[in-house]
Amino acid sequence: MHPDLEKLISLHDLDVMIKDLGRADILQEEVRLGLSPDAAVGELKTIREQLSSSIGKRWLALYGQICVRYGNAVVPVVMQRCTGCLTRLPTAVYSADDRNEQVRTCPTCGRIIYWAD
Amino acid sequence: MDRSCYCLWDLQSTDRSSTLSEMLSCVAQTGEHSRELLLRALEARELAGATIVAPGTAMPHCRSILVDDFVVVLGRSREGVSWPEERVRLIILFISPVKPSGPQEHMELIKHLAGKIGESGQEKLFKASSSKQLADMLGFQLIES
Ligand SMILES: [Zn+2]
Repeated sequence: MHPDLEKLISLHDLDVMIKDLGRADILQEEVRLGLSPDAAVGELKTIREQLSSSIGKRWLALYGQICVRYGNAVVPVVMQRCTGCLTRLPTAVYSADDRNEQVRTCPTCGRIIYWAD
Repeated sequence: MDRSCYCLWDLQSTDRSSTLSEMLSCVAQTGEHSRELLLRALEARELAGATIVAPGTAMPHCRSILVDDFVVVLGRSREGVSWPEERVRLIILFISPVKPSGPQEHMELIKHLAGKIGESGQEKLFKASSSKQLADMLGFQLIES
């Protein structure tokens, strides 16, 4: 898998964690478990900064733009469809041998796509 | 929500990272590469604050696009695992999927586990005599491997 694609997936998961810990209901349950979600958010943001600084500027900018537009910027391809917009991908995209070896975007919605192993 | 889980009854690893990796290795529905990225997500959460929820018990968790359904893995260690500030003997790992109902279901799973841990009590959980009994106590159906 292309290193930037790996990092973009990790960035997505970090953003989900940060967003989740901003929800009052999840926050409340984490506190009930004895965890410190407020402190964790601060640390996760620091980890996010470190990760972002190691991603190619082009892809990081695209990630930011698509997040603003759709709320999520990275999606898996399932059954030859982009799971962001559910559009079937062109044969040349989904049948490429090196499909995870470069960062690819859905030709329809522009989200960053990857194939799960 | 489907409440099924895997269980590793006798974890071999003794440090946090190897333990998470060992526990993820029994998740049949994800490939090796996805497991590596899931490990990074779980480790990021641990680095942000260790998920010790009771003495001797850790609950590593995250939500990730790399799973399309809930993944729950229970792990029990005789020797204890360095977490690293505390030694833990029981590990409840879970990963929730990213989907529109994801945050709500993730919260419900945390709530469910908090309730079950409180109901059973730590000592009872440590004394479970089999994977099935441990899964039952936590309200999960054991996936036989
Ligand atoms: Zn799309």
